[in-house]
Amino acid sequence: MMTSNTETIPGFTITSSLGIVTGSTVRAKHIGKDILAGLKNIVGGELKAYTELLMEARTEALGRMMLDASQRGANAVVNVRFATSSVAGGAAELFAYGTGVTVVEG
Amino acid sequence: MDNPIDFLSTAETGDIILYVAIAISLLLFVVFPTLAFIYSMLFARFHQGRSQKKLLQRESLVMQQLGKDNLSTLSKPVDGREIVQTGLVMSNITVSPSWWQLFLGTIRSIFGGNIVSYDKILAYGRSEVMQRLREQAIGEGWDEVVNVRVETSMVMNKTKGGNQNKRGTLEFLAYGTGIR
Repeated sequence: MMTSNTETIPGFTITSSLGIVTGSTVRAKHIGKDILAGLKNIVGGELKAYTELLMEARTEALGRMMLDASQRGANAVVNVRFATSSVAGGAAELFAYGTGVTVVEG
Repeated sequence: MDNPIDFLSTAETGDIILYVAIAISLLLFVVFPTLAFIYSMLFARFHQGRSQKKLLQRESLVMQQLGKDNLSTLSKPVDGREIVQTGLVMSNITVSPSWWQLFLGTIRSIFGGNIVSYDKILAYGRSEVMQRLREQAIGEGWDEVVNVRVETSMVMNKTKGGNQNKRGTLEFLAYGTGIR
């Protein structure tokens, strides 16, 4: 499955568009990691625990998006975008969306 | 009162528990935050300065290796090369200002104007995330990353009450299409 955040995939021709494909996941922070992050907060800078958590969650959202795309019979996803929003009490929703397309070489 | 001694001893145990509780809560809510605040005031600059120095080193290393920046916000490579494969590349970082910087920022926001302490941490976060994208692209074997977008969002908010994002935790996400 090819993914791209450009409108076309260079070197390939889009034969059909299969509509919007989405994938999302909601993650809450781990209490132990939250305490550690709280301590790191004192001096500021990077909070590694959150960075890893969010990247892991985003990869999962992307995976779900690709699954959605392959269920629709797409072999590529173009114009992928990400959105992040904070939902209730310290949880974050990570959302990935794009357009599922079928492409052929040339 | 049929057993005065017994009564006295239980009262004492109660008192001891109370004193211990007071001592623990003082330690937790007064002594620790004060010490932490002082530590933040004195050493945050050192901690952040170290990571900033590392970032500069890594940036110059990549520049030496490639001779040019491998990120671009254009949707196609400028040199019109032939592309055989594309894929999504992304990287992220979560940063927060230190307690001292938050404090300075709060004071600053009363009068308005440029909040220098936030400026620094945001600038660091953004250049770090772009540097990570460069390294990620090199690691995955992409020649160049086109259509790079950088996004900022507030995460790990406490949405209850007036306590919104007390810690000012920000997430930077950079993503683009790797080509080769």
